[in-house]
Amino acid sequence: MIKTPSDIKEYRKNLKNALGNQFLGTTLDTFASAYPASRENAFAGIDFDALACDIAKAKDEAIPNLEKLLGEFTTKAVRAGVTVHFARTAFEANSMIAQIAKDNQVKRIVKGKSMTAEETFLNSFLEREGYEVTETDLGEWIIQLRGEGPSHMVLPAIHLSRRDVAELFTKVTGEQQDPDDINGMVKVARRELRQKFLEADMGISGANFAISQTGTIGLVTNEGNGRLVTTLPRVHVALIGVDKLVPDLKSALKILTALPRNATGQAISTYVTWITGATECKSAESGRKQMHIVFLDNGRLALSKDPLFAQALRCIRCGACANVCPIYKLVGGHNYGHVYIGAIGLVMTYFYHGLENARAIVKNCLNCQACKKVCPARINLPDLIKAVLRTVYQVEGKKPIRNIMLQKVLADRRLFHFMLRRARFAQKPFAEEGYIRHLPMLFSGEHGFRSLPALAKVPLRDMWERLNPPVENPKYRVALFGGCLIDFVYPEQAEALLRICRGYGVQFEYPMDQTCCGLPAQMMGEKETAREVAIQNLKAVDPARYDYIVTLCASCGSHLKENYIALVAGDSPLAVKVAQLKDKILDFSSFVTRVLGMVPEDFKSAGQKVAYHAPCHLCRGLGVTREPRKLLEISGLEYIKSKDEEVCCGFGGSFSADFPELSAELLRRKLNNAEATGAEVLVTDCPGCVLQLRGGTKKRGGQINVKHIAEVVCDQRKRI
Amino acid sequence: MEYPKVLELMKQRASAVRTVVSEVRSMREVLDYVLDITRKQEGSSVAAPDFCRGSAALAALCEKNGLALLTENLRDHISKISTGLTMARWGIAETATLVVDSTSEDLRIATMLCETHVAVLPKSNIVPDATALQEEMIRMFEAAPRYLAFISGASRTADIERVLTIGVHGPQELHVLVLEADEL
Ligand code: SF4
Ligand code: SF4
Repeated sequence: MIKTPSDIKEYRKNLKNALGNQFLGTTLDTFASAYPASRENAFAGIDFDALACDIAKAKDEAIPNLEKLLGEFTTKAVRAGVTVHFARTAFEANSMIAQIAKDNQVKRIVKGKSMTAEETFLNSFLEREGYEVTETDLGEWIIQLRGEGPSHMVLPAIHLSRRDVAELFTKVTGEQQDPDDINGMVKVARRELRQKFLEADMGISGANFAISQTGTIGLVTNEGNGRLVTTLPRVHVALIGVDKLVPDLKSALKILTALPRNATGQAISTYVTWITGATECKSAESGRKQMHIVFLDNGRLALSKDPLFAQALRCIRCGACANVCPIYKLVGGHNYGHVYIGAIGLVMTYFYHGLENARAIVKNCLNCQACKKVCPARINLPDLIKAVLRTVYQVEGKKPIRNIMLQKVLADRRLFHFMLRRARFAQKPFAEEGYIRHLPMLFSGEHGFRSLPALAKVPLRDMWERLNPPVENPKYRVALFGGCLIDFVYPEQAEALLRICRGYGVQFEYPMDQTCCGLPAQMMGEKETAREVAIQNLKAVDPARYDYIVTLCASCGSHLKENYIALVAGDSPLAVKVAQLKDKILDFSSFVTRVLGMVPEDFKSAGQKVAYHAPCHLCRGLGVTREPRKLLEISGLEYIKSKDEEVCCGFGGSFSADFPELSAELLRRKLNNAEATGAEVLVTDCPGCVLQLRGGTKKRGGQINVKHIAEVVCDQRKRI
Repeated sequence: MEYPKVLELMKQRASAVRTVVSEVRSMREVLDYVLDITRKQEGSSVAAPDFCRGSAALAALCEKNGLALLTENLRDHISKISTGLTMARWGIAETATLVVDSTSEDLRIATMLCETHVAVLPKSNIVPDATALQEEMIRMFEAAPRYLAFISGASRTADIERVLTIGVHGPQELHVLVLEADEL
């Protein structure tokens, strides 16, 4: 039985062990590095975003109607000779399948790969009932023999080395296996499993689609075991989650276009099998297969009616949300999910396998948005993860002390800013009281993998008037949304912005009632607090007053732009303001290149060599990728591309306090990649990333300088 | 997209998954190809459950060359099938996919449990993508029971250290012979 720690200390111990597993680290890194290119190649000539929209739409049409689709499917399938069952719970599904086995005097069972059967722990159930069950997908067979669960939804044994497999097969066959002869080991499996196929009385499969229109199920496999499971034994049982119901073949083909491409970078999986009804089977007495389909609810129908979580049922189980997740890549699937792995696993574990299994893992998300970007069903995974976290707190009726602090402090801007000012003079006592690290962006020094910045002597708001003299006949009226870090830690980044724009007729304003954007609250599952500060900011920064609202912080920008809508939903005048705000928010580079239209003549030439780190909330959150790189070039800097530029630096706000060892490892890799370019400066466009990267390089005595893009561009700007 | 462009696309996509696509002009050439490949691989039998047209010639050929010809009750010969020779209903160029109506059990066994699968694809039945077959597929599903297979290459796995390995359960090779329609 698989175990997922519910205690955060134990969980962190597992994470540390995983970080120490060199094979896992290298394998997953190689996989993660190869995946984006093969995926891109597989989608060549296909508009992924349009396809994902289509899939989401088709699924959204099906999800509210699952019961109806189930009825239609059943009518068609029954007519074609299939017995259709409906199981409300996992236990019910397992019992039904055991009963079918019993009714048909089954002894031996072969299984095709099915995540749904993993969900219900069908194998152990059937084994307890006395049946011999053999997984026939190679990866599944390997983990079955080891008594493990899958560590990836598509590549279940990716955590194992050839040595592990050789050892296992030596034990199973009693013959010495050569770990370097992978082909030979595959042939061992072929031989052993072929025998199992021939002896089996019953085959159990899952399905990727259940098509109501015709009562057809669709199976997508590479090995061909799915075909044998559904062909050789006289009984076939397909266990299918009701969320796999689609109205028609058209929807299934759409999903099929995305599934293998997104999963493994294949244009199509080797075998796609469409089964309608009970087909010929010469080993059955009647000459026809005994075919049963067991549809599993296990909470899905209730989920389908949930206004927020229904979208999780769009999942097509491609596994891509794990493939691109920087944390999955560090610690592997056994530490990043329970049965379901990756971002979707962090969400579904709570629903399918309960609070105990969900409570620790659901905290382990950077909100880096990488999963959301590749999801072919457009599931807002990072948001759902935070919503589960929040639910966990609610259900348990207790929260970490820092949530309560944050809630109190953030609700009142004056108190918050007062504490920040006090903190500068009294860091120590505050830290000891346990306050300071609970503020949104300040952490105690206990996690010493990076140095922490000192608070600025004078916050931006106190020197704003001096820095920002009135502009005569301004062309643009622009509000600066500072965010906590710019205001209280790095005001020089705002100063750089003002200097760069001098002479371009920009009248900046700094609305003094603005406060923290609220993302830290959202990250910690504090939706009410996030909503409160959103409303405060909407009152402070009236979009109607400005042409643009510029931010130097990618996280603030993307939170304002993407999350405020949901936070103030239902509040009609505010919702309008959010829509206006959304249209006016711009990041620094987009403002300078697109609005001000700066050109190389504005800058000195022959600048330094720079590497670039793309903040998650800029490149994915705001979808800005070209402008910063273009600006680096325009401003005369020599930009050198580095490996994994768009992978998270490991900051993730409160994440780095919860999981310092993961944060430190992501930081270490990020700095290694940047240093490998030979650049003098590592540039990024988010003060949170600056904090992380600068703190990291200082701690390790690195040579590379970390700068906000506004600072390097300002240094290159010709004086006027 | 029309012939020969679809065929070109199919060939190009097939090479990515190591499917061998050849054009043949007659049934005779099909049989020669099958004989040739079976011999090359030191096979001992040919399973051809749906080959009515070529059966007399095929039977003669097999007999002359000492190969067993299996046409029915393949369940009894499961471990002895060297080459599986079947028809493909359609070809999908975009993904180099064969669409094989596998409703008959013998046909399934011939394509799943042989060492080498040779499929004959009528030239006029190559379509650019799966969407083009939607209507036809629905019609087939409606005439249930029906077992329809999309086959795009040889059986493969990457489950050990993500190393691509061929022939884990099904055939180790897939050969597609594109035949002029009027030769059928
Ligand atoms: S947001 Fe980032 S860290 Fe969180 S699950 Fe998605 S990919 Fe992983
Ligand atoms: S959530 Fe999206 S990316 Fe993750 S497995 Fe499901 S469909 Fe794929």
